[in-house]
Amino acid sequence: MQVLDQATTCHGVASDADVVRARQQGRSLATRLGFGRPDQALIATAISELARNIVNYAKRGEIEISEIRRDNRTGVLVVARDQGPGIDDIQAAMTDGFSTGDSLGLGLPGTKRIVDEFDIQSAPGQGVTVRFVKWVL
Amino acid sequence: MEQTTSSSIDDLGSQDQSIMARLAWCAIEKADLERVRELAPFAEDIADMVIERFYEHVLSFDHAAAMFANEGIIERVKAGQRRYFLELTSGRCDEQYVQNRVRIGEIHERSGIGPDLYIGAYDYYLHQLGRLLLERQSDNPRHAFELYLSLQKMAHFDMALALETYVNARERTIEAQQREISELPTPVLQLKEGLLLIPVVGTLDSYRARALTIELLDAIKSLRAKVLVLDITGVSAVDSAVANHLLQTMTAARLMGAHSIVTGISVSVAQALVKIGVGGDVLNTFGDLQRGIEQAEKLLAGTI
Amino acid sequence: MAQVPILHQGDIMIVSIQSALTDSDMLELQGRILEELVRFGATGVIIDVSVLDVLDSFATRTLCHIASAVQLRGAKTVVVGIQPEVALSMVLLGLTLNDVESALDLDAGLDILWRRAARAGA
Repeated sequence: MQVLDQATTCHGVASDADVVRARQQGRSLATRLGFGRPDQALIATAISELARNIVNYAKRGEIEISEIRRDNRTGVLVVARDQGPGIDDIQAAMTDGFSTGDSLGLGLPGTKRIVDEFDIQSAPGQGVTVRFVKWVL
Repeated sequence: MEQTTSSSIDDLGSQDQSIMARLAWCAIEKADLERVRELAPFAEDIADMVIERFYEHVLSFDHAAAMFANEGIIERVKAGQRRYFLELTSGRCDEQYVQNRVRIGEIHERSGIGPDLYIGAYDYYLHQLGRLLLERQSDNPRHAFELYLSLQKMAHFDMALALETYVNARERTIEAQQREISELPTPVLQLKEGLLLIPVVGTLDSYRARALTIELLDAIKSLRAKVLVLDITGVSAVDSAVANHLLQTMTAARLMGAHSIVTGISVSVAQALVKIGVGGDVLNTFGDLQRGIEQAEKLLAGTI
Repeated sequence: MAQVPILHQGDIMIVSIQSALTDSDMLELQGRILEELVRFGATGVIIDVSVLDVLDSFATRTLCHIASAVQLRGAKTVVVGIQPEVALSMVLLGLTLNDVESALDLDAGLDILWRRAARAGA
């Protein structure tokens, strides 16, 4: 884990122990930023899903968790990046019930529902970058 | 005070145009303004006497007398009233004049002085003045009548302003009260061990619904509840968003081992809930809290 | 990582999760539960997740798999101790413990299993 500045941490993710570490880091930042308990749990769970996707599909990647400010709001920004095989059909991946066969889906539609801003970039062979923001209420 | 006055003016539309429009509506012309000005010295003369008589009249009524608890208040009000009535015959009808009239409406609303008292007061003054005018101008009753008619137009112009602002201020007060009610935290009542009653009141926007859910789930944990009765009789609008919040709450409660019963819903709302996946067996559609609680107690008995 | 303690109370197994589990830990736990279920002939399994602050899709799915497998052996699973904010997150993310019973805590879970056993015995 690299600490880039006081409020940004970057985690290499290559094992499932890394998945747990990343989400615990996310939760602790969320707590510090003043998110309520339910939102803390949502952020940690969302990070868990993204980190797991990296481990399962790309073998390795990184998750960057940072504080973000815009206008008068404070929030958490999470960017999950990998250089794996990428997603063929993003639209399908973002539909509830999508499955790649050996697992029950990427958890992306659910994640999108619980955050305030969400975006995903991918192309076959070009890895995946998922970015989300959740604002403190 | 300044702020409320100008927002009232805004309520009445843009300034000059609205004043011109009102004057036209009340058929007030330059001639009317001249006539009331003619009355000014006479009004000055009789003002104190008429106001004294008016307060004797007022203090003879219990509910009005109650408003004037002590001498200090009475003297201040009388002075204010003297100014107000003399302005009536100033023949002015500008923004300042209008603002003063508007302010009166707001003061009355705040002090709980209803339109009946206000109109009664105005009327009393007018008829006193009318009678005295006739006596003073007994040689020219026709002219006295013309003067009086113009005065009456001005009086009604005033009253319309004051009453409109009174009504607007009332509405704002009511809205503020409604907002307060809808922001009250929802009580979570323990009817008996393991059984909670949650009477949900007001509008259920996302923010409030989320806060309510978390409060409820915390209560399930701390009070070890097994059955919840969610009474939504007091929820103002049950649309699909509210229905979804309800469903989410019930599902989360179930994960914590608590069953839910929803009461206080119409048949159509019940149908909408069933459509989005709320189990029909937990919906008490009689809108009857009593039966909902009975059903809840049965459930509870089944679980212990 | 230390093993998750599994206690036996009569016919009932109590799986008491003590700390956050990785995906591999969960799979390992799944194996152990089934193994001990068979070995001890338990009729009920309680999985206590009260210490977990996150129950994501993998954890949820695994709990469902455990419950199915336990059911195939004629036993019943009860998940206990889902925390308020975890319950809410699961619902918002659309994660369900479909056919798995859940209860507030260990006592409530034991209660459910005892009554089931009493009904079966009668």
